[in-house]
Amino acid sequence: MKNWIKMAIRNILRNKRRSFVTLVAIGVGFAAVSLFRGYTDNTYFGLRESAIRGEGLGHLIVYKAGWLQKGKLDPERYMFSKEEVKKITEIVTEEKDVVLATPQIHLTGIVSNGNISTIFLAQGVVSKDDRTIKGAWASFRPITGEGLNDKKKYGIEMAQDLAKHLNLEPGKDGVVMVSTLSGQMNAMDIQVSGVYDSGSDATNDKFMRYNYDFAQSLYDTQMAERIVILLNDWKKTETMRSRILGKLAGQGIACEIKTWNELSLFYSKVRGMFDMIFLFLFSIVLVIVVMSTVNTMSMAVLERTREIGTLRALGLKRKGVSLLFAIEGGLLGFLGSLIGMALHLSVWAIIRGISPTYTPPGVSTPIPLIVNLVPQSMAVLMIFLIFLSLAAAILPARRAAKQNVVDALGHV
Amino acid sequence: MALIEMENIKKDYFLGETVVHALKGINLQIDKGEFIAVWGPSGSGKTTLLNLMGAIDDPTEGETAISGKKIHSLSDNERSELRNETIGFIFQGFNLIPVLSALENVMLPLQIMGISGGEAKTRALKRLIEVGLGETMTQRPAKMSGGQQQRVAIARALVTDPSLVIADEPTANLDSETARMIIALMRELNEKEATTFIFSTHDQRLLDQVKRLVRLEDGKIVNGGSK
Repeated sequence: MKNWIKMAIRNILRNKRRSFVTLVAIGVGFAAVSLFRGYTDNTYFGLRESAIRGEGLGHLIVYKAGWLQKGKLDPERYMFSKEEVKKITEIVTEEKDVVLATPQIHLTGIVSNGNISTIFLAQGVVSKDDRTIKGAWASFRPITGEGLNDKKKYGIEMAQDLAKHLNLEPGKDGVVMVSTLSGQMNAMDIQVSGVYDSGSDATNDKFMRYNYDFAQSLYDTQMAERIVILLNDWKKTETMRSRILGKLAGQGIACEIKTWNELSLFYSKVRGMFDMIFLFLFSIVLVIVVMSTVNTMSMAVLERTREIGTLRALGLKRKGVSLLFAIEGGLLGFLGSLIGMALHLSVWAIIRGISPTYTPPGVSTPIPLIVNLVPQSMAVLMIFLIFLSLAAAILPARRAAKQNVVDALGHV
Repeated sequence: MALIEMENIKKDYFLGETVVHALKGINLQIDKGEFIAVWGPSGSGKTTLLNLMGAIDDPTEGETAISGKKIHSLSDNERSELRNETIGFIFQGFNLIPVLSALENVMLPLQIMGISGGEAKTRALKRLIEVGLGETMTQRPAKMSGGQQQRVAIARALVTDPSLVIADEPTANLDSETARMIIALMRELNEKEATTFIFSTHDQRLLDQVKRLVRLEDGKIVNGGSK
């Protein structure tokens, strides 16, 4: 086999210009797919972190059974009592993969600076747990001011466009009004502790966060709407959902659990779009690789007909001839992939050096363009292209193998 | 048992609606160790006859047997094995593989046979030395003269120790001096190893050296069909 590979390499080098064009076509195709994969890998990471930590969804969100269908109509019936929250938290935090479980309340209402009012959407969070959920992500979108804390129960965090609209800044006071659980209007004084960038144009003029206790007072309840669970690894999301759901059911707690990706509409839509673009790009590369390889190998078969006749006369079987050309095709895929890897590394280094930024639609601030190196994906792509080139060479190789020996020897 | 037995061999070529009768009932028997020339005018059927003996073509009618094996009953793979193990080919145009060195070209039939690289190299080198090309084993065909290339082709034809070597006009592309050397080399190998040589030729120098002449005319043997 070693000698056949050596012969295939020499045959590839025989027509340098044609082989070079084919290798470049495969290489550029490899680099295009690989770079896009590296870009989406980073984007998916960013969107995932944004959903889990930025939006504060955690990895899993536990609702009382029925909340998602009828919770808004009859919230008292579908919220967790204080005892249920305690019990669920205890059960859930027994799991070694669970970092924390924390209750939350989501409220909507009107916020006013004393002169003008506007609507808001707010999360009532346990400030210490919220900081754990944010983790290192907090440095990506830092808060102006001091942020939520237990010392100032009425202190709130306000999204930057909402704060700008109401002319509020850290230290300034306002009023929030919401409908309580029993349907009464309730108003309470607030003080802006911090201003933050929600990351999205759609939410930057609406979002607020305040302390869980304050939210309960505002809503006039001791109940919780949801329990957010943070895991030590996002890859365990599905496994832990099933496991926790089973454990809670075993304890007689009827609930439903949603994952972060089910609740983050933005993540799902962007991922769907990128996956479609990837498929489109991949299809184009597939066609280019197949066409280039088939063309190169067909030309090689035509030019080497006499040699094929000689090899057959010397006793090489048909499958041997096919194998010889298939090896050449596979080698084209391998060498083309190596060129593609070199291109990927070059572009990756240039991007790292320049550090360009861009602002995607709907996002409030420019984000850096980063392309990850994903060795696993590159290896899979390489193997795929080798087999694709090999398969593309099979057709001309079979044609070569089927030639009549005498006709092939007489070919000029 | 005869090495080659051909019985009532006919071969027709179809060129559109025209039928060309290249061979018109050939009966021929060749024994091991013979040194035979097939000769005759152009278009008499020499190359067709050699192709049929070499199991690279099929007759329209008739039967060829090599060492008792009837060729028409063999599968393509079995024919390939037969050619690889029993027959060596020397072509008019040398037909060396241009990307391989002299040594690698000679090793080729052994590699096809599945013989390991080390053994194949030893055997190929021995044959190359026999044909006087031990010094040029690393050169590729493009860097070699016609005579050198034909000697590599002879070494390649003999490297598997075949019982039969078929040469189609082996001296046609060579100058007189080189042609004489090639003829002497083939004659020597025939006498030393009792390898059967069958070749087609117009070359009178070669015809003077052979033990048996088979003359073809218009697709028929007119002389030398029987010993």
